[in-house]
Amino acid sequence: MIPGGIKARKSHYKIAGETRRIKIMRALSRKSWVHGAAKLVINHMEKRGGKPYQIDAIRCFADDFRHAYLKQKPCIFTSAFVPNELIYGLGGVPFLPEAASGFAASFGFARESLTACESLWYSPDLCSFHRAGVGASVLEFAPKPAAVVVSSHLCDGGKRSLFQISQYHDCPFYILDVPYTCSAQSLDRLGKQLEKVARSLEQEVPGLSGKYMDEAFADSNAARNYYLDLCKLRTNAPSPWRGSEALNYVVLFLWSWGSPWLPKFYQSLRDHAEDVIQSGDYPVPNEQFRLAWLNLRPYYSPKLFSYLEDTCQVSIAFEEFSYMYWDPLDSGDPYISLAKKIMANPGWGPIERRLEVIGKITRGFSIDGVVQFAQWGCRQYNGAASILSDYLRKKGIPFLNLDGDGVDIRNSGEAQSLTRLGAFRELLESRRIKNLR
Amino acid sequence: MKAGSYVVGIDVGSSATKGVLLLDGQLLSVFMLPTGTDLNATAGECIQNLLRTEGLTENDLSYTVSTGYGRAQVKVSDRTITEITCHGRGARALAPRAGLVIDIGGQDSKVIRLDEDGMVADFVMNDKCAAGTGRFLEVMAERLGTSLLDFGRMWKEARKPANISSTCTVFAESEVISLLSKGMEPSAIIRGLCDAVADRLLGMVHRVGVIPDVVMTGGVSKNRGVRLSLEKKLSQKVIVPDLSQCAGAYGAAIIGHELVMRRQQH
Repeated sequence: MIPGGIKARKSHYKIAGETRRIKIMRALSRKSWVHGAAKLVINHMEKRGGKPYQIDAIRCFADDFRHAYLKQKPCIFTSAFVPNELIYGLGGVPFLPEAASGFAASFGFARESLTACESLWYSPDLCSFHRAGVGASVLEFAPKPAAVVVSSHLCDGGKRSLFQISQYHDCPFYILDVPYTCSAQSLDRLGKQLEKVARSLEQEVPGLSGKYMDEAFADSNAARNYYLDLCKLRTNAPSPWRGSEALNYVVLFLWSWGSPWLPKFYQSLRDHAEDVIQSGDYPVPNEQFRLAWLNLRPYYSPKLFSYLEDTCQVSIAFEEFSYMYWDPLDSGDPYISLAKKIMANPGWGPIERRLEVIGKITRGFSIDGVVQFAQWGCRQYNGAASILSDYLRKKGIPFLNLDGDGVDIRNSGEAQSLTRLGAFRELLESRRIKNLR
Repeated sequence: MKAGSYVVGIDVGSSATKGVLLLDGQLLSVFMLPTGTDLNATAGECIQNLLRTEGLTENDLSYTVSTGYGRAQVKVSDRTITEITCHGRGARALAPRAGLVIDIGGQDSKVIRLDEDGMVADFVMNDKCAAGTGRFLEVMAERLGTSLLDFGRMWKEARKPANISSTCTVFAESEVISLLSKGMEPSAIIRGLCDAVADRLLGMVHRVGVIPDVVMTGGVSKNRGVRLSLEKKLSQKVIVPDLSQCAGAYGAAIIGHELVMRRQQH
């Protein structure tokens, strides 16, 4: 826990971006009748024949949001790669400002959050997922955190922006200092940190207690089993699940491990994929090429993906962020188990670990080409573009580094992105024709 | 009218719309006009001009392929293909040993590496802004009160290039004004501008790899100053074919012709 620090300017500066619709949404999000009405709407959607996995996913988030906004459970802000079994296990609900930025972008609410963040002197050079997260937090469009837990690995901007959020809301801030290399000693060190954070959260945040840890671990492991079944089904060609949708559900993959809703969601999704394969009713029926997608996606631009999937008949067969990288959790040794999960992230440590996973994805999912979405301001992935390009070139797999921004529409040119994706498809086609000769 | 298969390739770029008419794969005529606000109408006008020159009507056309940023707007098009593939094919047809194509258009630039068969092996595009593209050069020429056609001559006249640090159209314009006010020769400024454009392209070129022959296409290929700067920076001759500005439309027409041939074979 870091005491003190620079207090965010709550009173000196007027925050921009506080539009009428933000004020309305902020007020509505804290009304219990709104959450009650949301429940009814979800039930209605279910009765009207909505896809079960979509209903389960909405329920999963609706449940967390209700607990967080109505303060029914302590809301703990976490960065993207913190194992949230820790938060669910303590009886809290996690809230990931970075992932919530994706939501905001897809519903058209990112602009205000970005403006709010920039009005507080944040550089537009900072990754927009963080900027929108900070903005939503200072606009109090996001729920109020009881504490903030971040990890030091992968994303550098995350820990700094979340520290500012903790200062703004005057709540405890914890940082998990993740060792670079994995050894018994480093696991022990990280495990002890996790235990210390858990103990401190129990003391600092009323309502948190470790008595739910076994339950959270069991839910996480059950979800993991269904998820692995789903991954196996996704090796099928044509792909049984639309990749653009899978990229939306990456948010759930980052957020909900340990949630009681997650096993049900992945079970429904697995069943859905099975049904699609059995019925032959594939989302990209004339699938011509299969892509692996690295990093996230632009969440405001459905046109890009309808062009890719419907016009070009190219499937995103699998996403780097959907890769299951950890072993089942052991509730008998919870903190070491969570430490192992953190350390197993292929994006952390030497680049060879990430390349190995990309290699496994390209082989396992019969991938024709790899697209890396080069998120503006994302140091850890953009920095590896040349290594990645060389690695894939040696393997004879075409690679496209697609510049863009997942949240900030001002940083992308849609026409250019369409041209690049179209040209990449043409490149794959000419290679196929050549190989057939 | 000669019997055979007539194919049109049309490249709707941000500044100019180019059209190429082929008869059985052989170049028949070329037409070019500024791209207006109605992209489909401009493309239609271009096609009508090509047909009129040869005494043809739309019914005589076997196939039309559109490319360029306005490709999807061309209603008469049978197929749309990206300008990356079209410039690659067009450049190889215009310069048979082309290995690397540098295409600088009105609002973007692309570097395309071709394989031994003339197919696109790899490509990169500039980022979203128009820095270092045709529009950038137009604005600078306007500010300097000169014509783009004079860039080559003035480049050669310059004893030393001015140091232009930005290819952002707005910032570079300020730099140019500042240099003019300090009494800097316009020729030195022009050479500096051409060097700045070439510097920006250099990173893209090396990302895909320099494979001779290096061929330049797009509207800026007609700018001798940029070509000279590129040759100097690459230590490599840069070939600019006669129809370099129409390489995209030519490539589109060639692909259209191949598709017609394939259709006939089947």
